Amino acid sequence: EKWAATRPKHPPTNLALQHFDATYSAQLGQMWPSVRCALLSERKYGALFNNFSQDALLEDLEAQGCRDFISNIETEVQPSDPADGDAVYQQLSALQLSPNIRCFVFPRGDISRFKPARPDQGGFLGYYLMDAASVLPCLALNVQEGHSVLDLCAAPGGKTLALLQTYSIGFLCVNDSSVSRTSRLRKVLRSYVPKQHLTNEKIRISTLDGTKWGEIERNTFDRVLVDVPCTTDRHSVLEDDNNIFSKIRTGERRRLPQLQLQLLQAAIEAACPGGEIVYSTCTLSQNQNAGVVEQAIAWARENHGIQLEVVDLRPLTHMFRNTFHFARDLHLGEMVVPHLAANFGPIFLCKLRRLT
Amino acid sequence: QPAHNNQGLDLLSIQSESDLDLSLHSLEQMGFTETQAEHVCAVFSQFRGSTGKHALSTITALFVLGLNAASMLKVFEKCPELYTVREAQLQQRINNLRKLGFVEGSLQRVVVHYPQILTVPAKKIRNRVAFLHEKCLFTMQQVTGILRDSPAIVMENIDHLEYKFQYVYFRMGVKQAEMVKSKLFRLTLDEVRNRHCFLERRGLYETPDKNGQTMIINPKLDSVLNCDEDTFLKVAKASAEEYDVFKRLVEREWQQQEQQLGSFGAD
Ligand SMILES: C[S@@+](CC[C@H](N)C(=O)[O-])C[C@H]1O[C@@H](n2cnc3c(N)ncnc32)[C@H](O)[C@@H]1O
Repeated sequence: EKWAATRPKHPPTNLALQHFDATYSAQLGQMWPSVRCALLSERKYGALFNNFSQDALLEDLEAQGCRDFISNIETEVQPSDPADGDAVYQQLSALQLSPNIRCFVFPRGDISRFKPARPDQGGFLGYYLMDAASVLPCLALNVQEGHSVLDLCAAPGGKTLALLQTYSIGFLCVNDSSVSRTSRLRKVLRSYVPKQHLTNEKIRISTLDGTKWGEIERNTFDRVLVDVPCTTDRHSVLEDDNNIFSKIRTGERRRLPQLQLQLLQAAIEAACPGGEIVYSTCTLSQNQNAGVVEQAIAWARENHGIQLEVVDLRPLTHMFRNTFHFARDLHLGEMVVPHLAANFGPIFLCKLRRLT
Repeated sequence: QPAHNNQGLDLLSIQSESDLDLSLHSLEQMGFTETQAEHVCAVFSQFRGSTGKHALSTITALFVLGLNAASMLKVFEKCPELYTVREAQLQQRINNLRKLGFVEGSLQRVVVHYPQILTVPAKKIRNRVAFLHEKCLFTMQQVTGILRDSPAIVMENIDHLEYKFQYVYFRMGVKQAEMVKSKLFRLTLDEVRNRHCFLERRGLYETPDKNGQTMIINPKLDSVLNCDEDTFLKVAKASAEEYDVFKRLVEREWQQQEQQLGSFGAD
């Protein structure tokens, strides 16, 4: 073993860490060391259960010691919860979650890993491994029977897959500006979803610049998911390849909040009045999260006369508080904060409803 | 040979009656209480036969060293193999420790604390000392300190020892004096790495650059290593749950790294 430094002096992962040390220690205070350590350690996955697969995997997964964190909330939510229990319990019934989405996770503190999914007789995979917290934006989207849904930045397709599990979408528009990533998304869909669910009447896949969507299709969709490109904090501190903190991508990184704003603006325009938009990222950065949402709300009101309401997601976070660590007291949106014992996230989500 | 107490003198005279057997009576004569003597005989009986004949000379040597009956009992319990060591060897090993700087008092303490040290050939100990002095550049005084605080290193695998030293020297940027103070060699490499990496990932420890500079102030090695886990968790500002999960995670990480290195080596 050699200890002499042979690595480049400023690998992007180091630059990312330095940047986060500066911004997040101010933003998260005392919590930052704990979050930092979680970011730098192995993450936990969730197994998004594929309802289209014929394999009898449920028993198998349960035998391994994991559980569907979404359907298991019954035992977690105690109406006798002394704090704000009753009020929240009432809100829970109001909050209809997208049905049929199931996601298995190993219990808190359990570091077991999932085996790679295997194809069933029909060639479809039994589950899709993703950050379990990524399911939350899909749940929050609250898709109802017959809805038309736009997934504006969809590749590689984890959240698209989660949305398809609901079986209730009327028409789904799947978009991503990257050609290569969109072809990955097509591959994912083909490995999980039978052809009859991917017909032109049901789904449309496009490779457009999402920021232009407002010019293409306004006031159209009941639901819009806008899962924007961001600093992908976890990736940035661990992988030097394809790292947004590499020197040559500095410009791109600085422009992120602007791009995110434009994508959210487009999503707002694409939604119909009464429609709902979920904005999500996988960064802890305030500039890319609440900052973007605030600007978009002001922009919609001032430039388009669109009134937006921020939907309270506290019932959702309350429901899943035993599975994830949520940031406290965010003034806008909700955020899953990584923690070694429940190493999911970061995921930020904020839900908006178009009143006009 | 110095014999500081009466017991020792008694013993020398007993010993001269060459093939005297080890009996309860003789033990009691040496100053053991009846129960202690029974205890010693019980342990001895396992070593009867060819090896057991050194038992009396071992006891003699330890008496000469100044150990009393109670501490001797402790020694036998910790290290019954001591009975199998020949008298001449035992004397040579004790003298060797004296030469390495163990003065009266500290010599007795190390024997009581870690009697196994007398089962190790003097040559092996001298090699370990040379390694610490010549390769790791500890002063001879520091080496004696290390042997005194962590005598078990005489049994430790030398590659592990070297790796541990290099880890702390290069990776943690800590100099010899601080290593001695922190009683580094009492801990296994895994314990050292766990604590260091935990702090490092939490942003509380940084490897100094070529000039010994860091952006943050590292905690002293002493406060990281020379304490129980609860105290360490205060330094790390972490919960026991986090550290528990962390240890299991990095163990798997390191195992995988080793496997990868192994498979590269095999190519
Ligand atoms: C965080 S990823 C989406 C992950 C995806 N929702 C999932 O769950 O698998 C962000 C995506 O936005 C895409 N993107 C970047 N700029 C875009 C733009 N202007 N319009 C549409 N998509 C864009 C990227 O190609 C990338 O695939």
